[in-house]
Amino acid sequence: MLSVDPYPGANVVLRVLMAVFGSYGLTLLAAAALAVGVPFAFKPDAVSFAVMLAFLIYLLSVLWVFAAATLLRAALGLVLPAAVFGLWLFAAAPSRGMS
Amino acid sequence: MRFDQPRGLRQSMSWLHTWSGLVLGWFLFAIFVTGTLSFFRNEITFWMQPELHRADKSRVDLDRALQVLAREAPHATQWSMTFPSSRNPTLGLSWQIPAGGESRATAGEAPREGGRDRANAPRERKPAGEGAENGAGARAERGGERGNPAFRESAKNLPGAHGEDLRQRADGQAADSARGSAVSRAAQAESAQQQQIAQAAHSQAQGGSGHGRDARVVLDPATGERLQGRTTAGGNFLYRFHFELYGMDRLWGRWIIGIATMFMFIALISGVIVHRNIFKDFFTFRPARGKRSWIDAHAATSVLSLPFHIVITFSGLLLFGPMMIPTAMQGAYGDNPTAYMQAMRARNLGQTSSPSGERAPLTDLKPLYDAARLAWPERGVGSLTITHPGDRGAIVEFRQPMMGGSLAAGRSTAQTLKFDGATGERLDPAPLAPPTLVQSISNVLIMLHRGFFASPVPRWLLFLAGVGGSLMIATGMVMWRVARQKKQEKTGRTPFGHRLVEISNVAGIAGLLVATAAYFWANRLIPADLPGRADWEIRVFFIAWAAMLVHALLRRHKAAWVEQLACAGFLTAALPFVNAFTGGLPLPASIALGQGLLAGFDLCALFMGIGFFYAAWKVCRHVPRVRREVPEASAADHPADADGLEDGLRVLPVEPLAPAATHLQPEANA
Repeated sequence: MLSVDPYPGANVVLRVLMAVFGSYGLTLLAAAALAVGVPFAFKPDAVSFAVMLAFLIYLLSVLWVFAAATLLRAALGLVLPAAVFGLWLFAAAPSRGMS
Repeated sequence: MRFDQPRGLRQSMSWLHTWSGLVLGWFLFAIFVTGTLSFFRNEITFWMQPELHRADKSRVDLDRALQVLAREAPHATQWSMTFPSSRNPTLGLSWQIPAGGESRATAGEAPREGGRDRANAPRERKPAGEGAENGAGARAERGGERGNPAFRESAKNLPGAHGEDLRQRADGQAADSARGSAVSRAAQAESAQQQQIAQAAHSQAQGGSGHGRDARVVLDPATGERLQGRTTAGGNFLYRFHFELYGMDRLWGRWIIGIATMFMFIALISGVIVHRNIFKDFFTFRPARGKRSWIDAHAATSVLSLPFHIVITFSGLLLFGPMMIPTAMQGAYGDNPTAYMQAMRARNLGQTSSPSGERAPLTDLKPLYDAARLAWPERGVGSLTITHPGDRGAIVEFRQPMMGGSLAAGRSTAQTLKFDGATGERLDPAPLAPPTLVQSISNVLIMLHRGFFASPVPRWLLFLAGVGGSLMIATGMVMWRVARQKKQEKTGRTPFGHRLVEISNVAGIAGLLVATAAYFWANRLIPADLPGRADWEIRVFFIAWAAMLVHALLRRHKAAWVEQLACAGFLTAALPFVNAFTGGLPLPASIALGQGLLAGFDLCALFMGIGFFYAAWKVCRHVPRVRREVPEASAADHPADADGLEDGLRVLPVEPLAPAATHLQPEANA
């Protein structure tokens, strides 16, 4: 069955690692993209906005990592949004991306 | 439950809820309890300085206060006065020493936080990195006298965000001082209501003229007599502990608390997902049913103030936001975070004044004070700031008490009245831009977290919600253990992990309560003139806590609970008596005199103590139900256990019983 992972013992450990570090990486990337990519008339708003959303993104991605049926889907749930945010960051500020 | 097998969403969330809550449970409890007490940290500090209890706030002797300022700080660039309020009946004076003056700084919390913060300050700057130092340098350049090394040095000695805020208040503009901690800079940037916070720091910085000697003076408002409060960290120790711990690098402490807060956030939201029937759970309580009663108690305390829990946790994260999510700042401002500070400052603080260099006597303040009182008959006058006293360009500024008004506006809720210090003419305040939507949201959340409110009622509601949150965490932790009781009885042994949780529950919950009460006892029993007494008070807190840990290790689980709860009950309930017998204003007198904040502390301690006693008594009387074990049936009757939902969290929805009638039903699976 596809929903059964090959390494049962490592499953929880891998999920915890993904939740702690993977989600944090995604969050940092998302915060940078939001801070650059969302235009605000009052620029400090971009920072506050990105920070507020970043914590929600972290929360949701942790929930996702544990809710996903398989490790692969859990990982995809981190990697795909990260790719989107990364592209957005690059498009909005190529010079600053991933520095 | 196994993550490599098919499972429901709620099973996954249940696992996440249990473990994210349990791993740091005792720690979250400590944060919640100390944070809840922090809502009243001014009141706690005032209670801890019995020398100030008998201050007479019926009238304010303005002339005497000005005389003291002129005598103590003739060359100050700024004088500040905090008028007596419902949260502090004394008159506080402070000042800022100009460039080249002694580095006495503007005081604030420094006197009370005593040696600790001074010891911390140099270490704390280390991780700030060169970016922070650059920023500090850039800012110091602009700020004239604040660029002076002497002032910068003294400013560095001031603790954390609040020292920062206080200086800012004293400056009348942003704190440009050269304190290089990236954290505090970021935290400061985060909050747009700097002036109000500053004022909070201001009004709470009453008393404690011990370490910082003349930086700050406390007077009896009516007589102008100088009051000498004992040196104590007061409520500020609890306050600072709840967001940066103690005795470690400040940045580390904040990161640890920030990570724990994230755990709390995850536990909260996953708990909400698990408990679909939030509304129903609230009306369901089945006492004396072992595990299920604990589940009900946990759900009820959670649901009762769920919005509070979510807001307080999320806003707690926001306060750490710039530290934990550095990429947001980097994204918007690149390598130039000072631009952020400047933009915030320009928006929130308006213009500032500069001295003319020409001497001129200060105008008579009485009519100005009366005008301010007339202008604000309800809220009254909170504080007075005189910038450049004795100069032609002197500015006299009255400010309302910082509490109340519009939450969203943040900094501008306290109105000000400005006068020309030489002529007494009214000056029109500079119009400030209204806050943007994002700032409003951020302000509301942060102001709620910090409890800036006019009346005591919302403050008490926050306090009660905090107590509810503490109970939520405590019941959740106990629940984990109770859920494993049966298994433990069956096998006849306690696995190491269970014993670990038992110990951390007792020492983390009851032990912390003992330690907190011991802190207050130490405040009254350590001689008022002992050098370094503030540090000793804090040491007593940790010694008591460590002793409770050892006690929990040595005693059986139940005995440890009973003894520690009884101990906490005695220590807490006795606090009003300790207060009365060690120089404080006794409870009957504080009620008679309308000293609400002292009476509030004493009554609260009394009720809490009785509550702890009651808990001890209940645990003592508790006899675990005798179960008729039917191994096969138990799996079928406990779908919760069977499908791997942690701790039987799904017992509620599964049971087809109407909430109101549940207590009448016979035990479903006994």
